[in-house]
Amino acid sequence: MSSSSIIIPLSTSTIAEKITDKKLPGDLAMWFFILAELTVFAIFFIGFAVSEQLNTNIFAQGKAQLHQTSGLINTIALITSSFFVALALGAMHKAQAKNAVFLLLTAKAFALIYISVKIWEYLSLFEQGITIETNTFFTLYFLITAFHLMHVLLGMVILSVIAYSAWQGKYHHHNLSGFEAGASYWHMVDLLWIILFPLIYVI
Amino acid sequence: MLNNKSVYLVSYSWLLLIALSIIAVYMDNVIGDRSLYIIAALSIVVIKGQQVVDVFMELKKAPRFWRILLLSYIVLLPLIITIIYLV
Repeated sequence: MSSSSIIIPLSTSTIAEKITDKKLPGDLAMWFFILAELTVFAIFFIGFAVSEQLNTNIFAQGKAQLHQTSGLINTIALITSSFFVALALGAMHKAQAKNAVFLLLTAKAFALIYISVKIWEYLSLFEQGITIETNTFFTLYFLITAFHLMHVLLGMVILSVIAYSAWQGKYHHHNLSGFEAGASYWHMVDLLWIILFPLIYVI
Repeated sequence: MLNNKSVYLVSYSWLLLIALSIIAVYMDNVIGDRSLYIIAALSIVVIKGQQVVDVFMELKKAPRFWRILLLSYIVLLPLIITIIYLV
């Protein structure tokens, strides 16, 4: 056997290892779902920016009526929640399912902070007589933030399902596809808020 | 997979994301020009998005196509929004 015939199988094996290393976390179907969600929100965000350019004064007045600090608290809550979900996935990789469940519950606690603040924000706007019909800014504000809130609620259900499955020992640390898919969805919710917050509250 | 080094990276990313969020809110006191402020705020969105995609979603270790797809979103969308605001 020549030396080259030995080298070729070795290099093929190395390439194969590199290919298997580059693995998409979670199910492919979840990533297509995430792409669809990102596209819908992109349309919302671009629509918001265009409307702001067409109604500069209304949007400036509307943004001034929003509670920027509550938006910042929600940003920190969602980022921290995502952080704990990332740690939970790490715990699952180390076959520490109970630890992962505790981290997921912590992530959900921060998500509850987000939901509480958001409800408080809506109620305080309602008390001022501001509704979805007030003007174009608040129509878009309520539509986009409520749509995002629905995704947070769905994300919490998904986190509950993967936490329950982890508690039941349904995941093996070499096959965490379902867990990874749920975690990826939650990070998408965080990613959307990262764009939504400065667009609606800050700039 | 998150080893100890990755836990450190995730923690660093978390702190960076929080710091950038606070800076984005309060930097309007420092940057007077609105156009410059919009560019700065949306640039921060790009940095934060890259952190979420690469570190939290772990797409840095995923096939290049998916990483580029998600990173394109987080770059192109703020770019489009910036153009809308500045034109």
